[in-house]
Amino acid sequence: MGKQLYRWSRILGVLALIGMLVAPWLALVYASVERQMGLAQKIFYFHVPSAFAMYAAFFLVFVFSILYLVRSEKRWDIWASCAAEVGLLFCTLVLLTGPIWAKPVWGAWWVWDAQLTLTLVLWLIFVAYMMLKSYSEDPLQSARFRAVLGIIGFLDAPLIHYSTRLWRTQHPEVVRAEKIGLPPDMLVAFVFCSIVFLLLVAAVLARRVSLELAREELESLKARFHVTESRT
Amino acid sequence: MPLFFRQVSAVFWKDFKTEVRTKERLSAMCFFAFLVLLVFNFAFTPDSETIGSAAPGIFWIAVTFAGFMGLTRSFVSERENDCLTGLLLSPADRGAIYLGKMLANLCAMLFLEALILPLMVVFLNIAVWQHLPRLLPGLLLGTLGFAAVGTLFAAMSIKTRLQEALLPMLTLPVLVPALLAAVESFRAVLAGDSLSDISAWIIIGGAFALLFVAACVLLFDYVIEE
Repeated sequence: MGKQLYRWSRILGVLALIGMLVAPWLALVYASVERQMGLAQKIFYFHVPSAFAMYAAFFLVFVFSILYLVRSEKRWDIWASCAAEVGLLFCTLVLLTGPIWAKPVWGAWWVWDAQLTLTLVLWLIFVAYMMLKSYSEDPLQSARFRAVLGIIGFLDAPLIHYSTRLWRTQHPEVVRAEKIGLPPDMLVAFVFCSIVFLLLVAAVLARRVSLELAREELESLKARFHVTESRT
Repeated sequence: MPLFFRQVSAVFWKDFKTEVRTKERLSAMCFFAFLVLLVFNFAFTPDSETIGSAAPGIFWIAVTFAGFMGLTRSFVSERENDCLTGLLLSPADRGAIYLGKMLANLCAMLFLEALILPLMVVFLNIAVWQHLPRLLPGLLLGTLGFAAVGTLFAAMSIKTRLQEALLPMLTLPVLVPALLAAVESFRAVLAGDSLSDISAWIIIGGAFALLFVAACVLLFDYVIEE
């Protein structure tokens, strides 16, 4: 299982790498410059795909958490917590690339727009998830706790989104930067970047899980041959 | 009465009676909430315009933080003499244990709120009484949502190394929609809005409470399992 995953992570990783080499060309050269926002809009091709990657990873956390609670098999916990790590990584990327775009366009690094608030709160929930991982004593119990938080966090997302949208509409409305109708050249670049980012998520997740499975195997081998050296 | 609800009420009365007889938890919660109210008076200039618009936020901060204190206590006291193990060994449904404890926490928090509101009238000088009927739905739903999520996370956090220190960090991010709904509906009512004006907030608060009471009844089993 672990070795096969490792092979998959290599294949996906190579594909993502090739895609990542093409993506900047598509985003910076091929796609035309947006008239109003100018060059600042270019980060759109990396910011929004990161958000897609984040949602994909957090959705996987939700699915694997339910699987773990229902089946109580260790591997689903490994999948869920690795997906949470990867999701948190891309969530951080979204939060970092967002202000770079927001400053020239909106005139502020941060505005309390619904989308931004949702991302920030999701980031906080999954930081709490990581804290739960590191502060737990019993590994089995910690796995169950994390699964519970993973499920609750995901169920909460639509409510957070809806409530923050309602909250901000009472204040000056923020002009949404994303347009629904993208011109064809921008659309090509955008779809390509999105696919590349999803490939990257898959590659990183597969690598992370194979690493964790290898660690599991090492632990069980050590236990079998009574190796008592302390882990560093 | 069906068996499930008899179990719920048994757990609820157990917690309720312990609280009424010791009054440990409630008195600490109320005193703490009172202190939070006072500290905010020092942070803002009293009698100013700002404190009036900040009042709903101050109220919910006081209630939330005092609530955290009460929530952890409700499980720490179960740990003494292995009461929790006893509860789990009983044939009661785990969901019923959760609901009973959640309702007891809800009662404690409602009592706290009933005490804090008059104090707000006195110290922050805001008019609450004529708005009270319209305040109640938002208040009740917000408290229910808080008690629902908080009870589940309190059961989790006392079993970690950080113990009760972890509870706010787990609960607050999840609680964002419920708190927003509670604070915004409070503020709108104080500004003179009618119930139909704040219906969207009531719906969010209600949806949050309903969703998480249901989810926590199902999930509590996995949290409490040894």
